Amino acid sequence: MKSLNLQSMAKCATARVVRLWILGLVVAGALTTLPATPAAAHGERSQQAFLRMRTLNWYDVKWSKTELNVNDEMELTGKVHVFSGWPQAVARPGESFLNVGEPGPVLIRKSAFVGEVPVPRTFSMDVGKDYEYKIVLKARRQGRYHVHVQINVKDGGPIVGPGQWITIKGDMKDFTNPVTLLEGSTIDLETYGITWTYIYHFFWMAAAAAWILYWFMTKGIIVRYWQVKAGKGRELIGQDEKRIGAITLAAVLLAVLVFYAAANREFPRTLPMQAGLLTGISPIDEPRSTVAVQFKGGSYTVPGRELRIRAKVTNNGKEPIRLGEFTSAGLRFLNPDVFTTRPDFPDYLLADRGLSVSDPNPIAPGETRDLEVIVQDARFDIERLSDLAYDTDSQFGGLLLFFSPSGERQRAEIGGPVIPKFQAGATL
Amino acid sequence: MSASTETGSPAGKTWKSKEEFLGCVILTDWILLVILFAVLLGSFHIHYMLLAGDWDFWIDFKDRRMWPTVTPIVAMCFAAAAQSFFWTRFRLPIGATTVVLALLIGEWINRYDNFWGWTFFPINLVFPSALIPMGFWLDIVLMISGSWLVTALLGGLGWGLLFYPINWPVLAQYHQATEIDGVLLTLADLIGFNYVRTGTPEYIRMVERGTLRTFGKDVVPVAAFFSGFISMLVYFLWWNVGKWFSTTKYLEIEEV
Repeated sequence: MKSLNLQSMAKCATARVVRLWILGLVVAGALTTLPATPAAAHGERSQQAFLRMRTLNWYDVKWSKTELNVNDEMELTGKVHVFSGWPQAVARPGESFLNVGEPGPVLIRKSAFVGEVPVPRTFSMDVGKDYEYKIVLKARRQGRYHVHVQINVKDGGPIVGPGQWITIKGDMKDFTNPVTLLEGSTIDLETYGITWTYIYHFFWMAAAAAWILYWFMTKGIIVRYWQVKAGKGRELIGQDEKRIGAITLAAVLLAVLVFYAAANREFPRTLPMQAGLLTGISPIDEPRSTVAVQFKGGSYTVPGRELRIRAKVTNNGKEPIRLGEFTSAGLRFLNPDVFTTRPDFPDYLLADRGLSVSDPNPIAPGETRDLEVIVQDARFDIERLSDLAYDTDSQFGGLLLFFSPSGERQRAEIGGPVIPKFQAGATL
Repeated sequence: MSASTETGSPAGKTWKSKEEFLGCVILTDWILLVILFAVLLGSFHIHYMLLAGDWDFWIDFKDRRMWPTVTPIVAMCFAAAAQSFFWTRFRLPIGATTVVLALLIGEWINRYDNFWGWTFFPINLVFPSALIPMGFWLDIVLMISGSWLVTALLGGLGWGLLFYPINWPVLAQYHQATEIDGVLLTLADLIGFNYVRTGTPEYIRMVERGTLRTFGKDVVPVAAFFSGFISMLVYFLWWNVGKWFSTTKYLEIEEV
């Protein structure tokens, strides 16, 4: 009776084990193959406020197109000011890389320039300087994506600039990436070499599977264990087995030699990978700003999302000027008295009525005036610049942009410590 | 109760016949093989991704110096441990081949499903390093010599030396030269530049960094010998790790 029970249990267990294995494999297969929800953001808001405000100040950022078909090209251009008061907590941009913030290579980067210099590699920037950049992108995958300019700074991390929604129509299956080799032929880099890579890898994997199964099928695992346990391990690997091993090894080494020689014959001219720091890239060559700004203090009213900056402004130019814009962390706060039309810029970063000054009158040539600049907009909070109050280095930074009646623009960097003002009952 | 019935097995025995017994052994063998393979796949994959990481993920990290040095060394850990287990317990010369095959299967699932399927990186950017012939080498050296000491010395050295030649048949095509905006690049560099990786800037590549300049352009053999030498040491250590992992300990009934 007992043996009958054990038998039936063994049968049930076997059937159950098989069912569980099948179920497990189905679940594992589903988990690894089902489509995942695409990521739409890149965590730009999660970066600390002082980091975004006092490292790289992005301006004049433009996306040449916001709607493309697969294989169309667009340009992402702009300028970046490397803030003079670069925070001590972040490594300086001695080794930087011009990058794109996007959810995977939905657009590929065909070329990238800083100034006139192509930058497929790491380059060096100097603190206090301004640089102009251009990235040529080619649409690859259909969909709607948030595309940022970004500069990665070694030991400092990625510093994300403004982003724009880009719509790509068509089908990635039609995407091509033609590249001309130095020897003259043209290949499609999108698919180049992939079939051979599969063949080569799966050839060796099949050989390995055959080797494993051969030994597994001759006496398996448990019987071998018993024999080893009984002190008969040496009998398991005799001269015949060693001969099989030697022949297999000879075949493997011969195959390695043949594949290696064939690769050298097919590709006689190869280079090592190219790397190295690009230095000496010139910053933007333009006349020195005729506006001098001296920071005199500031405060941040937490519940009101209002940054107040006191500054002494000297106009050394020949025309009167008015403050039109404060830009920081990719956000633009505009003075509606100066900007009568709304510029083309992503709405979530553009506060077109977010800037005012205590004295709206133009600053005359040669005049020095104490101004209170008021930056107030919900975007300050939405983009988590309010978290400045909780940073270890509660200093803000950004660019003030002044405009003359002739349309000439003057930039001035500003930054310094701000005192947060918490009101009763208010929280961040 | 009788000692046996027409439908049951002899009293005190679970199996009706020798054939049934052997069938159960074979079934258990298969279950063991699948479980062992899955465990080795998962654990080796994690180990390898943590230690070889970007060197194995991206084609533009596969240089002549760091990649052939680091990758075989970190791959040797599980190969040696698995050999210890399969050889000392079962006299099976499949330890190294099994773990590298398991790793490659795991890697290919990862590269195809995740890197290509989810984030659209082309396979020619993300294919893994080939390791299988190194597994054959290590297993067969152990089988023929029957000695883990010989396997550590000879097998470990060959493990490091074989790595670059077995990867070159795939890699060579991506080391052809091209030019973009007046800058000389290999196709491997260009793939890395074209296909944007937001979190992988160019400067984290370690392309031929180091102070070994005496041998001119012939850095691969030097890197491979160094890798082989360290692989020997790693083999000694991880053989014993494998041995320790494959011990069986029982609790006495009084201790329960």
